[in-house]
Order: sequence, then C-alpha cells, then structure tokens
Amino acid sequence: MSETPRQITLQEWDRQVEFWQAAGVPQPAYGGPLGRHAADGDTRLLQLRYDNSRAALRLWNFLLTEEDRLRAAREAGRKLVGTMKDLGTVPVLAYSLDNLVAFYPDGAWWIPCVMEVNSGLLQIADSLGVDESFCPVRAMLGAFVTGAHFPIPDLLTCSVGATCDDFSAIAQRLSGLGHPILWWEIPHRRIPDPGEEATELPGGFSAPASLVRFVRSELERLRRALEELSGQTLDDDTLRRGIVQANHVRALLARLRDLAFTATPCPMPALEMLIAEMLAIHFCSDQDETIVVLQELLGEVTLRVAAGTGYSPADAARIFWVNPVADLQVMNLLEDCGGRICGTEYLFAHALDPIPETVPPLEALAQMALADPMVGSTTDRATRIVAEIRRFGAEAVIVSRIPGASHCALEGEIIGELVRAECGLPVLEIEVPPLTDALRPTLSTRLQALVETVKNRRNR
Amino acid sequence: MYTCPYVPAQWIAAHGLQPHRLIPAPIEGASTIPRIEGLCPYARAFANDAAAGVEVTGIVLTTACDQMRRVFDLLVHRIETPAFLLNVPSTWQTVAAPRLYLDELKRLGRFLVRLGGREPSKEELARIMLDATASHPRDEDGVHGIPCGCGSGAPVAVVGGPLMQRDRVLFDIVHECGGRIVLDATETGQRSLPAPFDRRRLTDDPLLELAQVYFQIPDVSRRPNGELYRWLAAELPRAGARGVILHHYVWCDKWHAEFERLKEWAHLPMLRLDSEGRGEMDSPRVRNRIHAFVETLR
Ligand code: SF4
Ligand code: SF4
Repeated sequence: MSETPRQITLQEWDRQVEFWQAAGVPQPAYGGPLGRHAADGDTRLLQLRYDNSRAALRLWNFLLTEEDRLRAAREAGRKLVGTMKDLGTVPVLAYSLDNLVAFYPDGAWWIPCVMEVNSGLLQIADSLGVDESFCPVRAMLGAFVTGAHFPIPDLLTCSVGATCDDFSAIAQRLSGLGHPILWWEIPHRRIPDPGEEATELPGGFSAPASLVRFVRSELERLRRALEELSGQTLDDDTLRRGIVQANHVRALLARLRDLAFTATPCPMPALEMLIAEMLAIHFCSDQDETIVVLQELLGEVTLRVAAGTGYSPADAARIFWVNPVADLQVMNLLEDCGGRICGTEYLFAHALDPIPETVPPLEALAQMALADPMVGSTTDRATRIVAEIRRFGAEAVIVSRIPGASHCALEGEIIGELVRAECGLPVLEIEVPPLTDALRPTLSTRLQALVETVKNRRNR
Repeated sequence: MYTCPYVPAQWIAAHGLQPHRLIPAPIEGASTIPRIEGLCPYARAFANDAAAGVEVTGIVLTTACDQMRRVFDLLVHRIETPAFLLNVPSTWQTVAAPRLYLDELKRLGRFLVRLGGREPSKEELARIMLDATASHPRDEDGVHGIPCGCGSGAPVAVVGGPLMQRDRVLFDIVHECGGRIVLDATETGQRSLPAPFDRRRLTDDPLLELAQVYFQIPDVSRRPNGELYRWLAAELPRAGARGVILHHYVWCDKWHAEFERLKEWAHLPMLRLDSEGRGEMDSPRVRNRIHAFVETLR
C-alpha cells in the first residue's frame, strides 16, 4: 500500500516520480511524470487532484499514452479497429484476434476538457457544420480531420438504431467526409409482448428473443469483417476465450466498484474510479495491460479498506452519479463540497456486467449489446439506477446533463421522477460543459446545498 | 394518430381505424411536455397536440430519431391514451433490416387490434392500398400538397425535416419574395410520400409490398443516408431548382449536421433556416433573409 491516501497535485506527482526514478523504483514502459502530458497540451491535468497511490499513477499514465500504443500497434503490423458508439461489444470481438487492436474514437469526447479547448477540434467541428448544439463528442470529427489524436483506423464500425442523434449525425458527417463506416444496428429494446418468446439479458432486463437474433445477425456481419481485416478465423472457441478475458476485466472492476462505493472511509476518489470504469468499454487499446492496471488498483483499494484508511470526511454525502462529466474536474469538486461517489451510471452499465459464458458466444454478445441502458426506455434505465442506489446505499442522486446531448433533454425528468417515487431521495440535475471554470461558484453552491440536504435528512 | 412517414396509413385503415397524420399546429397552452432546453420543438409539439387530441384512440411514434423515442418514454408516463413505438431500423442494406420493419408492422397490427381494430384480410388491405394508389398523394391525410411549381419566380427547393402547420408560411413568403417552391423535400412534403404500389406484388402479399414501399422512403435518419442524396440528385434537376432552403428545428441533430454536406454536394446556393418552433418563419428577419436569398437566384 502507498502512504496515507491523499489527493495531490500534478506537480507533487512529478516530484514523487522523479524521486522514484532516482531510487530505481521500477515503472511500466509507459510510466513517468504526468507533467509530460500537460506539456504536450493536456493542460487540464494541471488543475486536477490525483490519488497518491502508485496504482493511480499507473492508471493515469496508461490512459494518457493510448495514442502512442495505437501508433506502436500499427507499426508492429497490427490492424486498428475504430469502434464508434459501441460501449463494449465490438472490442470484445476484435480483441479475440491477436492482430487486431480496437479503440474508441468517441473518447475524443474528453479532448476539449483535457486540452482546455485548445486543441482546435471543436473549431474544426464547427466548420463542418457540427456546432455546440451537439454533445462534446463532436470533437471526434476534428480528431479525424487532423489525425493528431489517434491514427485513422483500418476499419471503422458504428452502431446505429437506438443510439443518440448526436453520434448518429456526426458519424454520418464523418462518412460524408470519405471515411467508410460499417454500420450495424442495435434496435430499440422493448418489453416483450405477452406470450412472446423473451430472453433474459445480463443486468436484469429482458428483450424479445427475435431482437436478440437480429443483433446476433448483425454481429455475424461484424465477425466476418473482422476476420477479413485480420486474415484470421474468429471461430466460437476463439471468441469464447475473448469473452472470458473481457469478463476478467469486468470482474476486477465489479470488485473495485463494490469496495470503492461501499467502504467507509472512501478508499479511492471519484476521478480515478471514473477512469477505471472507462477501461471496461475498450481496454484503452491494450486488454492485457488493462487487467494489470485494474489489479493494481484493486490491490491498493483492498489494502486501504483492510487498514481502514481512505478519504475524509467519513460522513461524506453518499452520491449516485448519472452520466459522465464532460469536465473531469467536477469529480474533484464533488469531494471538495463534501460528497463521495456511491454508485454510478455513466451510460454503459451493461459493459460492467459479466457476459454470459454458457450460451453461444455471439448470442452472448448480442444479449450484452441489447442490455445497453441507452437502447431501452429511460424508465428501464431509471429502474436499474434505482436498484443500484439501493445496492450502494446512496443518499442523493446527481444527473449530470451533457451539453447538446439528445438524450439529456428528457431523461433527467424521468429518472428524477422514478428515483423520488421509489427511493424518496433528493435529485439534482446539473449541466457540465467541457470547462466549468466560469460555473464553478454556481456548481459548488448547488453541490454544497445537496450535501447539506443529505446531512439534514440523516438527522430527521 | 402519428406523424412519422414510416407509419403506413393504409395499415391503420385496414384495421378499421381512422389514420390521422398529425402535423402539429402547435396548440397554444398544451404542455404535457414543457419546453425544455435541448428538446426538438417538433417532437414536443407533436406529443402535446397528440395528447390534447380528443377522440384519439392511440398514438404511434417511431424510433426514426432519438428525440421521438424519448418523447414516447415521457408520453406513456403522462397520458392515458395508449401509445406505440414502432421500431424503424436505421440501416437498410441488409436482409434483416426490412424484415425487422415488417415484423414491427405486424406488431403494430396487434396493437391496433387491442385498440378495437379488426385483423385485416389480405383482400381488404390490398383494396385499401389500391385505392391509395389511385388517389392523388395531395389528397392523403396530413401530407402537404405538392407544389405546382407554376409562375415565374426563381425556382427553389425546400429540404429538411417536417414543417409544423404554421411554418408552412415559408411557402407564401418565398412566393412573396419573388421565388417559387418547385420541390418540397421536407418530411411533410413529397420526399416522404411512399412510391406507388406494385399491383402484382400487392395482390400476392399486400403487407410485404406495403412494408417494402414504406421502408424505401428516403430519409436523413438512414445509415448510410445515401438514398436521400440519390433521391435529391434525381428530383432537384427534375424540378429545375436553382437554390435550396434547408429548414430544420433547433436540436434536430440529424438535419442540422446535414447542412454543410448538402451544400458541398448540391453545388447550388443554399439558405439555412433553423427554427425554435415559435413561428419565427413569419418574422421580418426570416423574410429579409429569404428575400436576399431569392434575389441571388434571379
Ligand atoms: S454523451 Fe450522449 S449524446 Fe454524446 S455521444 Fe454519448 S450518448 Fe451520444
Ligand atoms: S425534427 Fe428532427 S429531432 Fe425533431 S422529431 Fe423530426 S427528426 Fe426528430
């Protein structure tokens, strides 16, 4: 275990790394001072506060070196698959083949934040007619145009159907710019009609068996495309092994979330937990290393919980957080205001559930894709949120709106109504743009007010 | 009641129910769904007008866009009228996509029966489809008339999503500004009319023919949406359009993102009109912009 848990600045981290380097403490190949990423333009890093464990440092360095890994993979002759609007399905297929590397171009979502809007990507999106009425994922268009944030993939896939209009429109614009896309459909998940054959999905929803068969046929198309790209056969046994490996990542994350969201004091800050959860979707372009990174983080958290160490105050308000934040700093802000995270739904809850291993592998992945909370009704999503609130004992809910996102206009209303009715908890809806500096006083006041409300309710 | 062109009116009629394609006005004061930042005004107006409708037996929405899909979620919480969400696939090049649409029409049929409709016979459906083929599309319930294109003004095409009733004033304004609309390629115009049915296929399997014809309606929501451009490539020159007005509602991402691409593709002067659904089409500002645009086409 590292020293007493405490949040430190990037400068403190760099001094620590320097000390370790001088002392010959081993580091992963992608390790080193975080300051080098800030010097490369990721200036938001200078404003964040980080957990002081070596496991957290490794997590950050792993995240921030993805582009290098992708370029190295290409140089090594591996093929790159950009899996757009895909929260955890095609990457499982792709990583089953050893000469493919899947990545998530949508990850450009965070570039405006991390580079404090200095990357020029939003301006490029503007010039292509995709302005601020779209969610921050529009930065991806700019990233494709500049080729500066990830290499242009050898194959680009995009799920459509029951997806947000933002992404669907942006991907179509990308296709119009000459990037061929393999579109695949995830239909809206509906409740099976009475008497209709139904399939129980991971995570507890159910769907008509006909829809599962439909998605399975779509995945069959993807399988063929990946085989063609890799020159290898993706048979069921190979895919089954890929699923087992993906489940390994999910199991680690599940244990990590359980500990981080339930232990008192809180053993790992919200920001590092957000990054860790993101790894489940696409493995940050290296599935094996994702496992090592998560194992180390889990090891640290386990030791802290056993030692009873963590972050104060011990009576922090237990918050369930809905939707990822476009500005990472808001995760720090919540803790500054006296809250802690006890449960999350960052739009990809299904990517944290184990993929069934007892059914044919494509069937399992089809079930998993249909379990996506965003492809069903908002009521379904809210129902799952309510179950998780109860599981983690949250005391309030924050629905964080994503500027421009087509699903955000109405979902807060439905989620709020259900949470209040079922759990009687306070719900706060806030909007988090990529940079919240100007809004910080307002946001702080609203978060503090929520924390106060939670504490007052404890005394009732 | 429905608004999306992928809902076949003939299928509803064949169940003995009266199809009504609702083009929202919108009704003043109707607020089952309040005005919310980020919400498409058309989707909201449709939901509110449908909810306020008397003698409405059922409401059909589709998944053609995320906004409507989510409006459905809220609608089923807020109103008693039964509502149905028709799954319209975005992809279209596979065998499975039109089959899914056909299955969805069958499911819609079961919903209509639950509303009190009757299961249609093949013959009855075929007869209704034949009648529709015989009648002029201008007569179809809810669909705006095809512009006659007559007169001497500068020929303009209007392209985009649906137009609310009050936004139809756009046509008059173009006329008053010295132009004439020669192609209505909005969702409430010619573009969304189904092609004529094939009489032989219609006799063999009318539902299959209905599904095939409706599934081919070119729309911006399709992935890829090349069929929309193919349709425009044929219709713009046929109509003799010399300029294009793209109309869309704010927060309609699908049309919003298409403007620059359409501009690059069409090689015609273009004017973008985005509307908050507050009747701005009739404002002096919009009128001036249209006037200036038409001037450039002369
Ligand atoms: S944040 Fe929401 S709107 Fe943006 S790409 Fe993701 S799901 Fe779509
Ligand atoms: S105008 Fe656009 S966003 Fe609105 S309902 Fe139609 S397609 Fe959806």
